[in-house]
Amino acid sequence: MSMKRILLIDDDPDLRLAIRMPLEAAGYAISEADSIPAAKAAIPEVKPDLIVLDVMMETATAGFQLALDVHNSGPQSEFKDFRETPIIMLTAIHTTTPLRFAPDEDYLPVQIFLEKPVDPQVLLAKVRELLGE
Amino acid sequence: MAGKPAPEKNNLIPPDLNFGLHRNLVEAELVASVGWWIRIRWIAGAGVILAAGIVGIVFPLRVPQPALFTIGVGILAYNLVFYMRERQLKRLEAPAENYMSLAKWQVGMDWLAMTLLIHLSGGIESPVIMFFFLHIIIAAIFFPPRTALAFTLMAIGLVTAIAGLEYASILPHRPIGGLLNAPLYQNGLYVISILFFFGCTALMADYLISSIHERLRQKEEEIVRLTGRLQRATTRLQTLNEGARVVGSTLDLPQVLKRLVKSTAEGMGVHACSIRLLDKSGMYLEPVAMYGLSQTYLNKGPVDVGNNPLAREVLSGKIVNVPDAPNSPMLQYPEEARQEGIRSMLSAPLVGKNEPLGILRAYALEPNRFGPDDEAFLAAIAAQGSIALENALAYQAIEELDAVKSRFIRTVTHELRSPVSVIRSLLGNIVAGYAGDVSDQQRDILDRAVRRIDFLQKLIDDLLDLAAGKAEVTKNEALEPLPLEPAIESVAKRFEVLAGEKELDLVWRDQSLDECTTVMATPEGIDRILNNLVSNAIKYNRPGGSVTITLKRNNGEALIRVEDTGIGIPVEAMDHLFEEFYRAPNAKAIEREGTGLGLTIIKDLVTRFGGRVAVQSASPVGTCFTISLPLEKSETGKTGLSG
Repeated sequence: MSMKRILLIDDDPDLRLAIRMPLEAAGYAISEADSIPAAKAAIPEVKPDLIVLDVMMETATAGFQLALDVHNSGPQSEFKDFRETPIIMLTAIHTTTPLRFAPDEDYLPVQIFLEKPVDPQVLLAKVRELLGE
Repeated sequence: MAGKPAPEKNNLIPPDLNFGLHRNLVEAELVASVGWWIRIRWIAGAGVILAAGIVGIVFPLRVPQPALFTIGVGILAYNLVFYMRERQLKRLEAPAENYMSLAKWQVGMDWLAMTLLIHLSGGIESPVIMFFFLHIIIAAIFFPPRTALAFTLMAIGLVTAIAGLEYASILPHRPIGGLLNAPLYQNGLYVISILFFFGCTALMADYLISSIHERLRQKEEEIVRLTGRLQRATTRLQTLNEGARVVGSTLDLPQVLKRLVKSTAEGMGVHACSIRLLDKSGMYLEPVAMYGLSQTYLNKGPVDVGNNPLAREVLSGKIVNVPDAPNSPMLQYPEEARQEGIRSMLSAPLVGKNEPLGILRAYALEPNRFGPDDEAFLAAIAAQGSIALENALAYQAIEELDAVKSRFIRTVTHELRSPVSVIRSLLGNIVAGYAGDVSDQQRDILDRAVRRIDFLQKLIDDLLDLAAGKAEVTKNEALEPLPLEPAIESVAKRFEVLAGEKELDLVWRDQSLDECTTVMATPEGIDRILNNLVSNAIKYNRPGGSVTITLKRNNGEALIRVEDTGIGIPVEAMDHLFEEFYRAPNAKAIEREGTGLGLTIIKDLVTRFGGRVAVQSASPVGTCFTISLPLEKSETGKTGLSG
């Protein structure tokens, strides 16, 4: 079985390292992108099985926009093959209500929000769940 | 500015009324008396008829019965006419002049009847003459002195005429048979002495009654005048009182100013009132509150202090009275004032601690309307208004500062949060062994570092909540109708495991009946409130204890109660409970790390949602927090369980 590929999109190199370490240790192949344009270029190239994406990139909701673009892409889009690719979104927006950014089953079927700081065990569990492992 | 009383210039009674007060009182009395007079005359007429009938029977006297009888009937007859006329006047609400002429007619007819009666009962010998005094007294009471004197002289003239004509045998003498042994009507000395004493007594009676009455009348006028002045003074005191109430009751600046101009105009009984405040440049006066002025006048143009001698003088701290506004060189817009109908103005400065703030101005439609009393009054109102204004302005400044502070805290904490969460994640990786093997000693150090970082993270999150809450108060964040039952349900579920670990009984009791209890709030806010309360109740509890969450309704409020059997709150800590960063000593003993912001956040949120927080605690038995939130409007009609 080939290694599952995970694309890690975040503009903070330290956070990318923090996320990368447990995932690599668990046997995933990790690629990184440090900006939205870089991510857009990387997706067709890397063909990730899962994307870990920071909500707050260039703007407060740039990551969110990218997730929408990927999941709602049309038949001509470069992202058309990734419509079903699960996305884990990392939020720095502190919220006390776990439900506030919880996935909307109908809207974005495979999306999960994780609040920073990310517990490596929780992250791994979610990744495995989304990849059906 | 003069504070001494100036009765001749007081505004208690308008000038025209002041001038006519005396007359008005006389007239009012006359109108009231005409009816009474008519009622008395019914008795007089009946008396004459009765006398005609019985005098001859009771006394050994012979009276001209048919003639007297006729006079009695005559009196009743003309009294009936007067009676009907009086009712007509009343119905028509006729002016006092009509009543005066009716009164004069009454006196005239009475005089005639009296004269006939005297003639028919012996002329100068008649005992009926005495009755004339009664009439003279009545006339002196009801008529002005001159009219009363004229009637008195007329009475004297009539009696003299009868005596003279009978003396000269031009009129037949008609004595009462059996009264006198010898006739006296042609005894010159007797006739003259009777006429002399009758005349003197009549004139003296008239004079005495008239002058006593006049003095009473003056006293009455004085009372009416004083009553008016008292009423005016009361109104002004009420205005001042209202002003003081406004100063104390609200910090809402537009509200303060609006009430101030209205109560000033009403208190002074003038057409209009305005407040203008200096703008930030200090060069222009901006209208901020108006009462009684037209839009046209308000839009007359900018009030430029440099171009406006009146404004300059008032702002220098003086009360300025402009008695003839349209022609005053002090005004910047005299023509506009003329068109508005403003004839006089009184202006008082609104002064802050260090600088002039603006002008309070009263406008009147009459020229020369304002006197020293008004100046003193407006100065008092302006002094009060200045305090209100300063308070409101200071409050505004504090609110702005608070918002700036909150924004600052929010930005700073947000910036802090990011690196802290990255540090936490990186440390977590080392602890988890993703960066290679970790020795026990290293693990111990890392665990300590992680604990500290976790606390820092919590502190930042709490600060963020607090700052966000405060910032949103000023933004007036939209609240939404929120059912409480599911919110409590979800929090109770969240803490089930934790409560189990601490061997606590977590009970959730919905006592709000079957319906949904909805309040105006934000979902995050309600969740945060419940989350903090329940987590505290678990954290500071004892094994085997309980945490009970109850929801009730009472008097239009939802009551959420979180009760625990924990360590309780010491009395000395109660006063500081909601202070930022405060932690009760026994709480510190149980859990070393805590931000001391949890209850502050609860209090902030509850206040934002229009509610209250109450705490009851007995250390060391347990604590009960009660959150009261107003029910959403459509909810308040429903009945609820009363607690």
